[in-house]
Amino acid sequence: MLGMSLREAAAALRCGQLNPIELYQKCLSLIKETRFLNAYINVAEDVALRQATEAEKRFRQGKPLGELDGIPVAVKDNFSTANIETTCASQMLKGYIPPYNATVVQKLLDQGAVLMGKTNLDEFGMGSGSTDSIFGPVKNPWSYSKQYREKNSGSRTIADDDSDWVIAGGSSGGSAVAVSSGTCFVALGSDTGGSTRNPASHCGVVGLKPTYGLVSRHGLIPLVNSMDVPGILARCVDDVATVLGVLAGHDPLDSTTIQDPFQTFTLPDDIDVTNLCVGIPKEYHAPGLSTETLSLWSRTADLLEDAGAKVVEVSLPHTRYSIVCYHVLCTAEVASNMARFDGLEYGHRANVEDSTEAMYSATRREGFNDVVRGRILSGNFFLLKQNYEKYFLKAQKVRRLIADDFVKVFKSGVDVLLTPTTLGDAAPYEDFIQEDNRTRSAQEDVFTQCANMAGVPAITVPAGLSSRGLPLGLQFIGQAFREQQLLSVAKWFEKQMNFCPLDFYKHLENRDICQRKSNIASLL
Amino acid sequence: MWVQKTIAKCWRTAGFTRFLSSQSKVPQNPTWRIEPETEAQDSHVTPELIDHLERLALVDFRNQEGVQRLQSAVNFANQLHHVNTDGIEPLDSVLEDRALYIRGDEVTSGNCSEILLQKAKSVVEDYFVAPPGNIPLPQKENEYLSTKGEDI
Amino acid sequence: MLQVSCGGCALLLGPSVRSSQLCYVGRGWRTASTACKHARDTGSLPWEGVVGLEVHAQINSASKLFSSSQVKFAAPPNSTVSFFDASLPGTLPTLNKRCIEAAVMTGLALNCAINKKSLFDRKHYFYADLPAGYQITQQRLPIAVNGLLTYRYPTGKKWSDMVTKCVRIKQIQLEQDSGKSLHDDFMRQTLIDLNRAEGQLRVDANISVHHPGEPYGVRTEVKNINSARFLARAIDYEIKRQTDILNNGGIVQNETRAFDYKLGATIPMRDKEGKQDYRFMPEPNLPPLILYDSKTLPRNIDAGQVINIDLIKEMLPELPNITRERLVEEYGILPEHSFVLVNEDGLKEYFEAVVKMTTADPKKIIGWVIKNLLGYLRQENLTIKQSLITPSALAELVTLLENKVISSSAAQQVFQELCKGGNKTPTLIVKEKKLGLLDSEQLEGICQKIVDEHDEEVAAIRKGNLKVMNKLIGLVQKASKGRTDPALAKTILEKKLQL
Repeated sequence: MLGMSLREAAAALRCGQLNPIELYQKCLSLIKETRFLNAYINVAEDVALRQATEAEKRFRQGKPLGELDGIPVAVKDNFSTANIETTCASQMLKGYIPPYNATVVQKLLDQGAVLMGKTNLDEFGMGSGSTDSIFGPVKNPWSYSKQYREKNSGSRTIADDDSDWVIAGGSSGGSAVAVSSGTCFVALGSDTGGSTRNPASHCGVVGLKPTYGLVSRHGLIPLVNSMDVPGILARCVDDVATVLGVLAGHDPLDSTTIQDPFQTFTLPDDIDVTNLCVGIPKEYHAPGLSTETLSLWSRTADLLEDAGAKVVEVSLPHTRYSIVCYHVLCTAEVASNMARFDGLEYGHRANVEDSTEAMYSATRREGFNDVVRGRILSGNFFLLKQNYEKYFLKAQKVRRLIADDFVKVFKSGVDVLLTPTTLGDAAPYEDFIQEDNRTRSAQEDVFTQCANMAGVPAITVPAGLSSRGLPLGLQFIGQAFREQQLLSVAKWFEKQMNFCPLDFYKHLENRDICQRKSNIASLL
Repeated sequence: MWVQKTIAKCWRTAGFTRFLSSQSKVPQNPTWRIEPETEAQDSHVTPELIDHLERLALVDFRNQEGVQRLQSAVNFANQLHHVNTDGIEPLDSVLEDRALYIRGDEVTSGNCSEILLQKAKSVVEDYFVAPPGNIPLPQKENEYLSTKGEDI
Repeated sequence: MLQVSCGGCALLLGPSVRSSQLCYVGRGWRTASTACKHARDTGSLPWEGVVGLEVHAQINSASKLFSSSQVKFAAPPNSTVSFFDASLPGTLPTLNKRCIEAAVMTGLALNCAINKKSLFDRKHYFYADLPAGYQITQQRLPIAVNGLLTYRYPTGKKWSDMVTKCVRIKQIQLEQDSGKSLHDDFMRQTLIDLNRAEGQLRVDANISVHHPGEPYGVRTEVKNINSARFLARAIDYEIKRQTDILNNGGIVQNETRAFDYKLGATIPMRDKEGKQDYRFMPEPNLPPLILYDSKTLPRNIDAGQVINIDLIKEMLPELPNITRERLVEEYGILPEHSFVLVNEDGLKEYFEAVVKMTTADPKKIIGWVIKNLLGYLRQENLTIKQSLITPSALAELVTLLENKVISSSAAQQVFQELCKGGNKTPTLIVKEKKLGLLDSEQLEGICQKIVDEHDEEVAAIRKGNLKVMNKLIGLVQKASKGRTDPALAKTILEKKLQL
C-alpha cells in the first residue's frame, strides 16, 4: 500500500481486493508507527473509523459514492473541519472546533473519503519548513529512507540518534509527509507562496497549486486571501487530476471562485509533447540554485526537446522582485487577516480583564508566535497612511508587472514553463533554523510565489534524488484555468522520471503492504 | 551523483546524448544577483514607531528584537523602489476582469447562537462578553524604548 | 456635505443601513444666528459654519449585506448571526443583490453618478463589537458619487417664506455594520450582540467654522447622533462653541465628540482618535463590483448576476420634489400644501383618491384633507391607513357639499359623524340627521318669521345698513339648524324686504 496510488487503491476497493476498514487500519497503524515524523496534529481515529465503516457498507451494497469512497485522506490543519479541532498549529486556535466544513473538505467527504486526520504546518501557514508549529517541527521521512541513509552512511554527519533529520518543507509539511510516508493517499495543503509545492518537492510527492479562483477557499483559514489556494498533494499526477475534478468549481460561499463550470478530465497514458512549447524563464536561474537542481532542470529541458517539444528561453523580467513584492503584500494581508483573533468569540483568551484592549493585546501576545507577530507588525507598517503608497500600492503595481510578465510569455505561444521548484534539496533542521523565518521563506519560495502573484497554476513533480539521497522536484507553471494541459505535461514528465518512492531504512511493520501493492498492481 | 539508476535509464531511452547541457536552453549561470539590503534614510524604524504600531495592531514585542525585525523587513521591502512602476495600475485581484458573484437576498444562515456562544470563553446569557471598553492601553514602561531592553 | 453609508442600506428618507448599510457624504453650510450675532458684537468678520454629514441608513433587505443571515429588528441577542458575522476563521463575504440595487436606486434618487465599477475596502480598528477587526466598506471607489439634493426650506413662520437649497452628496457607499456593545459599568464588562440591525438612522457630523472665503477651520466630529432634532442642536452647539473659542483667541481641537441630549451639549469622547490610522486595504475576497446598463449588458449571462442601472431607473418611484411640483401644477394647490401631502406617509395617495372620486375642485378638497382629516388623525393618534374615514366617504361628503345638498356647516357635522366610525355613508347620515338643505318653501317660512321678529334690524337694513343683512342670514341659519344655503336665504330675505 505504501506507494500505491489512489487509482490503484480505488480499483482494489471496487474489485474487493481491499476493503475500506482494512485500508483504514493499515493507514492508522502506519500513522502510529511514523508518529515520530510529527506529520499529524490530530488523528481523527474514531471519526475515520465511522467513515470507513460506512464506506464498507456502501461497497457491500455495490453503491460506492465516488472515486474517493473509502480512500484515506489527510487535511492540513488550516482547513475548517466540523467537529474536529482546527488549530493552524497556533496557540491561538488550540481547542477551537469549527462548526462547519471547508467546502473542499465537504467535497472530499461527499465522495466518501475517509479523513484520517489534520496535518501539521507552520503556525498559520507562515513558514517554509513546517518547523514553526506549536506542536513541534515536521520531520522529512526521507531522513529515514534507505536512499538517504545509504548515501550518507559513510558520512559522520549521519548518526543513528535522530539528530540529523532534514526539514519537510512548508508550510504544508505535514500533508506532504502524510502522503510521502504512505499514511494516506492524498492530502490537502494550502498554497500561498509555494506552501504545497515546496514540501511536495522536498518529500518527493506531486503537489499542485490550482489557478486562483478554481477551487473554493471557503473554510480555509486565510494567510493571504488574494493568493491562497487549496493545494493537492498525491503520489502521482493522475491522482492529483482525480482530486482536482472533485474539488474544482464555483462555490457560492467564495465570491472569488469563477462561475464557469469545470470540465473534469482524465489524462491519457500516451502523451504527445511534440506540439508543446515549453518556456525556460532565464530569471529562474537565481543565485543559490544548487548545481544538482540546475543540472536536473537542464536535462529535463533537453529531454523535452528530444521528445519533440519546442523549448525556448523566455524572460520574466520582474521575477527577482517578486519575492519582495510577495513579502509586502503577504504581511499586509496577514496584518488584516489576523485582526480577528482577539479571544472574544473563539480561540485563546488571555486572563486579563482590565479593558478590552488589554485583553486583546495579551491574547495576541500569548496566542501568536514571534513569526506571526512580526509579520503583523510589518504588515501594519506597510499599511500606515504614510506608507501605503510607498510600500503597499507600490507592491501592487509590481504585482501587475509580474502578472503581466506571465501574460506576455503565454501570449507569445509558450504553453507551459519549466522551472526548479526549490533552490536545492531539503536542509537539515539544525541548519535551517540558523536563519530567521523571513530569510528562509525568501529563499524557499523564490521560484514558487510568482505563480501565486499571477494566479496561474503550477505543479511540482518529483524528478530525482540529490547526491544526499533527498528528493528534488521540478515545477511546471501553466496558463490560468488550463490545468488539463499543465497536468498532461506533468504526467508525461513523471513517466520519464519514474521516480522511486520512499523506502524506509528501518523495518516498519507495515512493509508487507508494499508487497501487497505489487500483487494488486498485477491485477490491474 | 544525483542521477539515480532508474533516472539514468530514462535519459538514455530519451536519446540523451548531450554532455552537461552545453546547448541547453537553461542558462548555466545565475541571471541576477541578490543586492545587499540597505537601510533607506527615510525608513528608519524607531522605538516610537514600534510603539505606535504595537498599539494599532495590539501585538507587542517589547524588546529590541522587534525593532530589528521590522527594520530588516522594511529594508527588504525597499528593493521594490528599484522597479519603475510609472503608469502602472496597482493589481488588487487577479480576477479583476471577472464579475463578482452576487448572492440573492435570501435568508439561509443564522439561528445558531448556541453553537457560536459555545466557542467563546466568556458569555452572559446570549451575549459575548468583553472587558470594559473605551480604555486605552496603559503607557508601558519605557525602558525598552531607549536601550536594548529585554523580553518581558 | 453629506455622506451616506449603506450598511444595511438606506437613505435620507428611508431606514438606515448598517449590517448592510448605505453611507452618504455631503457638505452643506449652516450659519448659526448666535455665531453671527457674536461676530457682529465684536466687530470682526462673521463666522460661518461648515458641516459635513455622514448618514448611516439601514437597507431594507431580508438578509445582510455580506451574509445570508436575517436582518431583523429587536431579535434576541446573537440570534441572527451567521458564521461570517461572528468572523469565524475561513468564512468569506458574499454580496447581497438587493443591497446593490438599493444603493444604486439611492444614488439615482440623489442625482449621483453611478460607478459602473466599484471596489470594497477593509477599514481596520479594534472594538469589541467589530469581530473581524475590520469593517468592509467602500473607501476608494464607492458605488455612487457626486450627487445633489435640492430642497425647499422655510425661512420664516409663514409657509410661503421658502428658499431653495442644495446639498452636495459626495458619495454613497455600501458598508458593513458593526455589532452592538452594551457597557455594564457596574459589572465592569461589555455585552456584545452581533445581530447588527438597529434600524435607526445614525449620523456623524463634521463641523468647523471659518470666515467665508478663507480656508476651512479645524473640524470636530460629533458621532452617533440618532435624530434630526438632535443633529440640528448638536450642530448649532458646536458652531457656537467653536466660535466662542476662536473669538477668545483659542484653538479648536481636532477631536471626536458625542452629543449629550440631556445637557444639550457636545462633549469630548474618550478615544484614541488622535493616533487612529484605519490602515485601509482592498478587500481581497470581493473582486470589483461591475454594474451594467442596457447598452453594456453582456449576453449569455445569468440574470441573477446582473445589475442593470437602466432597469433600476425605471423602477424608481416619483421623487418628492417632482411630486410636489406636479401636485401644485395639476391640482392648483398651494406649495406649502404639497409639502404636507408628500411628507405625510400615504396622504398624497389619499388626496388623489378623493380627487378622482368627485367633481369638486381639488382646491376645496385640500382643506378637508389637510385640515379636517389630518387634524382628526393627529388627535386620535392614527396613521392615514388607520383612518376610519375612507377616501370614498370623504369624496361623497365633498360631492354633497358641491351639489348644494348640504351646507358647509352641515358638512362639518357629517364629518364629525364619520369620525365616530360606523359604516354609514354621508348620504345616509344626512338623511337620518335631516341635515339636507331646506327647500325654498320651507326657507320662505323661516325667513318670514325672522323678518317678523326683528323689526330693528329690518329698519336698519332699509336705511341702507346692508351689513345687518348677514346677521339676519345667520339667524335663519341658526333657526334651520344649519340646513340653509346662505345665498338662497339672502335672496329670499331681500325679496321680503323689497330691496
